[in-house]
Amino acid sequence: MSVTASAPRFLLPPDSEIWTSLEVYREHGGYAAAETAIRSIAPAAIADEVKASGLRGRGGAGFATAMKWSFLPKDGSRPRYIACNADESEPGTFKDRQIMERNPHRLLEGLLIAGFASAIDAAYIYVRGEYRTAYDALRRAIADAHAAGLLGKNIFGSGFDFEIHVHRGAGAYICGEETGLMESLEGRKGQPRKRPPFPAISGLWKRPTIINNVETMSHVPGIIANGAAAFRAVGTEKSSGTTIFGISGNVQRPGAYELPLGTPLREIIFEHAGGLLPGRTIKAVIPGGVSMPVLTAEQAMAVTMDHDALQAVGSLLGTGAIIVLDDQQCLVRAAAVIAKFYRVESCGQCTQCREGTGWLHKLLLKVESGAGSGADLEAIEDVARFMEGHTICGLSDAAAWASGWFLRRFRGEFEAHLEGRGCPHDATSFEI
Amino acid sequence: MTEANGSTAKNPKVRVVIDGREIEATAGAPLLEAALDNGIEIPHYCYHPKLSIDGSCRMCQVQIQGQKKLAIACNTPCTEGLVVDTRSDEVADARRGVMELLLVNHPLDCPICDQAGECYLQDYSFEHGSHHARTTAPRRKGLKRVPIGPRVVFDQERCILCRRCVRFTNEISETNELRVFGIGDTSYIGTLEGRPLDNPYSVNVADVCPVGALLSSDFHHKRRVWFLEETESVCPGCSNGCNIKIGAFREEIQRLVPRRNDAVNETWMCDAGRLGYGFVGAADRIREARVCDDQGQQVVALDAAITAAAAALRRVREEHGAGAIGIVASGHLTNEEYFRLAGLARETLTTVSVDLAVPLGEGDDFLIRADKAANARGAREMGLVPGEAGRDLAGILNAVEAGEIRLLWIIGSKDFEAVVGTERALAIAGRLETLILQDVQPSGLSDKATIQLPGATWAEKAGTFTNYVGRVQRIRPAVHSPEGVLLDGEIFAALTGALSGRAAVPFVPSSVFDEIAAAVGAYAGLAHQSLGGAGTNPADVTEGVG
Repeated sequence: MSVTASAPRFLLPPDSEIWTSLEVYREHGGYAAAETAIRSIAPAAIADEVKASGLRGRGGAGFATAMKWSFLPKDGSRPRYIACNADESEPGTFKDRQIMERNPHRLLEGLLIAGFASAIDAAYIYVRGEYRTAYDALRRAIADAHAAGLLGKNIFGSGFDFEIHVHRGAGAYICGEETGLMESLEGRKGQPRKRPPFPAISGLWKRPTIINNVETMSHVPGIIANGAAAFRAVGTEKSSGTTIFGISGNVQRPGAYELPLGTPLREIIFEHAGGLLPGRTIKAVIPGGVSMPVLTAEQAMAVTMDHDALQAVGSLLGTGAIIVLDDQQCLVRAAAVIAKFYRVESCGQCTQCREGTGWLHKLLLKVESGAGSGADLEAIEDVARFMEGHTICGLSDAAAWASGWFLRRFRGEFEAHLEGRGCPHDATSFEI
Repeated sequence: MTEANGSTAKNPKVRVVIDGREIEATAGAPLLEAALDNGIEIPHYCYHPKLSIDGSCRMCQVQIQGQKKLAIACNTPCTEGLVVDTRSDEVADARRGVMELLLVNHPLDCPICDQAGECYLQDYSFEHGSHHARTTAPRRKGLKRVPIGPRVVFDQERCILCRRCVRFTNEISETNELRVFGIGDTSYIGTLEGRPLDNPYSVNVADVCPVGALLSSDFHHKRRVWFLEETESVCPGCSNGCNIKIGAFREEIQRLVPRRNDAVNETWMCDAGRLGYGFVGAADRIREARVCDDQGQQVVALDAAITAAAAALRRVREEHGAGAIGIVASGHLTNEEYFRLAGLARETLTTVSVDLAVPLGEGDDFLIRADKAANARGAREMGLVPGEAGRDLAGILNAVEAGEIRLLWIIGSKDFEAVVGTERALAIAGRLETLILQDVQPSGLSDKATIQLPGATWAEKAGTFTNYVGRVQRIRPAVHSPEGVLLDGEIFAALTGALSGRAAVPFVPSSVFDEIAAAVGAYAGLAHQSLGGAGTNPADVTEGVG
């Protein structure tokens, strides 16, 4: 039995429960942290507590949450907003959905506390268009909270006013990029904005805006209720607290598991997700959503799921979405499927991304079909290099990493396809 | 130093070092703008000095000291001590990447592309790209040669999606016809159903387009640009005086394009001005001198017509006095010509019934002025005004009808007809003893001329125009006048000689300008040679900020 099996849950109710009703949420202590914070803690002290907790963003980049908040201008100008990123679209990722569908008030309470801490006027939750259940749960939770005086004017008699709005996206991955999200929310085509200016200075409607992921915000009530120390007691030194790992691919029990950061990947795969199908072995593992560099089996078996450990093996934690690829899978085909995703989701602004995602996809299809040559592999490397670090947002980087790291870490498998040999697998797992 | 970005105009100066060279820049101004203004070429596609920053082509990436990643120069504000490297291996590799990716789906149909020869894809590819192609995948297909508006042709396959044209219609013409549809590598520029690109400035999108995607319909497949001889001049279409380049091939104007002058037209011009050059080489252009005898109008040599005109002027003046002569000019001549004409009228003929006929049309609050003559202000400043006792245009017309004016000399009878109206103009012609027309284009009066002198167009002249705010700008000859046609100033010089009995003083515009500078108060201190490409506003010189 693993040491983490009995670890605390900060985000999700017990597996058998759903806390969508306000009454049930309050029975489990819901909104007590918000009430304490708004009635009796100074805004700066709330931010200090979050800072002390070491909370890092759960949307993929892992940026220190309190530091992000500190970038807001200190001039007290209003209005200012929170944009809450619920456009969970990174392939393999389905963690925020668990919170919104099963514990939506947790997110609202987090937004309320964060809003109070940073003198915010309103929060906008941008929900992935396909997440109809999550949207409905949030709408109901907001209505209930409003009716109970937990949102609106003069919350807890403090004089603090705060509103939360929900907006449904229309299905574009790029709207999960923070400034693409803002463009979309403002009613325009979702295309990331060049920076500077940064959202903390000029975000939604050119006003100061903090943007955080659903899970990030949902951690705030627990940090205020239990204290930073309790949060830090879980996880690792630089990756504190729990996260919801979503595991999918070739495992017996794919699903969402709230576990401490730093949990060994091997434990997640073999204990929580039930291991592989009989007779299979691991070929590759994507540790943090398809945008993060793929790991070899050896790397995957040795790594723990926290920022430092994954960085040390040349990948990143991302959204903590684990995709397991076993020995039956063709990795060239996997890379091509992922490349196609970026090709159809690129917003088309930046040259490298618009043209590079398409070219990578074509090159990978060519290699997979057996028509490729060494020059095509060279082209994949070059295009990935041209795309990485040179564009407005990170989509291009992600597309470059996906193709580039599959090639770098599994070159032998790519070369085995070349010169008319074609795919040695009879894999049917991926439709190209 | 341009001050396109008004908000930075008053900002302090900072020092920026680019490739080891220190330049002075306005704090907060885009690094790319500062570099370009100082003659440092950083390749770019989406940046345009008169449009908002887009930041999407990624071609202007440079290395900023202290920054890990390359930065786009267009969106990097100038700050004190900024140290920039535009030549590092990393920068070169990034540029090579952008170029290769831009060409992955480009049709490479340069042999039939109007942009070839002045195409930034060609130029940057040669300078910054890879010199071999390695793409074998089929290229993206798109619309070819479709009219995206009445005056612009669109080639979707060539588009690199820099969105300059979209920003032009959003920010400059404010007509919003163009937008990007689709996403990723299926993105394309287009218009909405029933909303073609049709605004008074639409062809500017062909100028801002760095490739051959948006083209002027007028210039489409007309001439290879490297065969054009380009001459810096000024648009004659209205009194705004937009700076242009006349592109000519074998004595024929092929196109007009705007030339940047931030004090006048920035980098733009209107469609009407751009496409209005057709009269220069028109089939019905007046190329012959005619003199009327008993049998009607007869074609004669120009000097014979000038002699006849001089004789008529002398005779009417001797028989009926200078008051029986009226002169009405259009607003299309040069200052130098008006100066000579005014001298002829005042000193030689001593007539005081001199005025202009300037047609009015539509104007706007941008570049299009209602008064449709290039140089009406200059004409008046040169003395083409009714003298103290003289008659203005209305007075001249009345005097003709009253039989007091017996000879009318109209320079530009098409404008005269437009201002006076055809019916009255014909009635006026019927009342005259002598009607002298000095014309480029035929009018309803052409048949009535006693003497017809062929005039020259602005495209054939050297000289200056003064725009509606008083800016004095040079025009230069781009083509020669038709065989046997003199410049209007030469006609004035010949007439002055004939009437005064002295040898004609050759008409040399630069010398006349020096006379103007000495004689006309507002032009004092201006020198022809120092007018430069952008012209000068005498008011600015006086205030010492020119």
